[in-house]
Amino acid sequence: MFLAGSILFVLSMVGFGLPVSETRFQVGETFPNLALPSLQDGRPTSLAQFRGKKVILHIFASW
Amino acid sequence: MHVPGWHEATKKLQDEGKIQMVGIIQEQHPDRARLFMQWKQMGWPILIDSLDLLGVSVVPMTIAIDENGIIRKLQMPLRDAIRIEEEFVNVSFDSAGKPARAEKAAAADLNRLRAATNKGTAGAWRSYADALILWSDSRQLDAAIHSYRQALKLELEDPATHFRLGVAYRKRYDSPLRQPDDFRNASEQWSKALDLDPNNYIWRRRIQQYGPRLDKPYPFYDWVAQARKDVLARNETPAPLSIEPGGAEFAKPLRSFETDEPTKENPDPKGRIVRDPGKFIQVETAVVPPAISPGASARVYVVFSPNRSNKAYWNNEVDGLAFWIDPLEGWQADKRFLTVPNPRETVSQETREIQFEVRCPENAGAGAVQIPAYALYYVCEDVNGTCLYRRSDVAVRLEVKPREE
Repeated sequence: MFLAGSILFVLSMVGFGLPVSETRFQVGETFPNLALPSLQDGRPTSLAQFRGKKVILHIFASW
Repeated sequence: MHVPGWHEATKKLQDEGKIQMVGIIQEQHPDRARLFMQWKQMGWPILIDSLDLLGVSVVPMTIAIDENGIIRKLQMPLRDAIRIEEEFVNVSFDSAGKPARAEKAAAADLNRLRAATNKGTAGAWRSYADALILWSDSRQLDAAIHSYRQALKLELEDPATHFRLGVAYRKRYDSPLRQPDDFRNASEQWSKALDLDPNNYIWRRRIQQYGPRLDKPYPFYDWVAQARKDVLARNETPAPLSIEPGGAEFAKPLRSFETDEPTKENPDPKGRIVRDPGKFIQVETAVVPPAISPGASARVYVVFSPNRSNKAYWNNEVDGLAFWIDPLEGWQADKRFLTVPNPRETVSQETREIQFEVRCPENAGAGAVQIPAYALYYVCEDVNGTCLYRRSDVAVRLEVKPREE
């Protein structure tokens, strides 16, 4: 019981310590279905349009 | 490089339809990413997240998402590309109970969002501003800026709102509808965002992109010249860039804070040239970052715009615009004297910009500082009107932060 309690304590400390942005994406969760303009044609596009395919997503900048 | 490396390593899988590669870019100027994709011959879809709505603080980040939209791998290094077929492509993932219904992506309903601002919450104002930036053009930037400011009145120190407001100001600065102080306001908003969340890498890079060159300068856009050469060599037309990169967006190696020997002396030491109080040329400054610690540097931008309501024109038949900087005691400027060459036309009305860097002494006291400088230029009243020589005194204002104990 003591061990479980201290593990929970450590996990909650880790939760407070990390900035929100580091924990935004989680394995096992759906990727946010946010509509953004496409670079190719400006039309609203989201990851949901690629359902049915295995996606490799890069979040990056050209620099 | 990380992303082209992934592209090359998985090209066969992409061509066979076993992988769909997608990108989300975090850039102030997305058309540069278009040139980058063209250069590296990558044709997969890219989504533009200039506002950093996703709240990513680390790039590049490569994520594996399965057929049901579920994240299966996060922050994959390039070396994972070799095993991607066996560890992801060929794996059947359990989707029981997880996948949400996929909604068709649509531009937000701007009318509905505007009406929602009547609720008077920060979130409603911010969502309306976000939608204006994403789905409207530069004519709606005034409304977007106003909406972010309303959100900040309600939630004074929300870092993401400060960042997005900075993006909006810089977008308006880069548009034909630029207003005075847009770039200064962008710089101040980005600095505020970073003060509130210093761990945000994207926001930090945004300041560095326009800020002073560091001891280890970051090559933001040094690749552009090579990209254009390589694309032309393939007999293709390089994708155009609406705003050319410059200044701190290139990594010129800076071994020490080099001050060039003044090749000219102070051209008007006694201040005898008649002053232009803005009747002919309107001057604005922006300093990035706007507040620096003792010993640190900042990049100064000075922008000169002929006053169109007074029908002012640059007179290009004589010397170009000259700029003299008089650093304060102990301060250094990397240049003391700058000139802007004239274009070919005899008269013109384009905006002219100069950039330089200043460094604060180690023992500087905290507080507001004003570095004296001035510009000398030839202007004409109307296309065939009287031409005059004028001086405009420019106060370069910045803050020195208290020394960290």
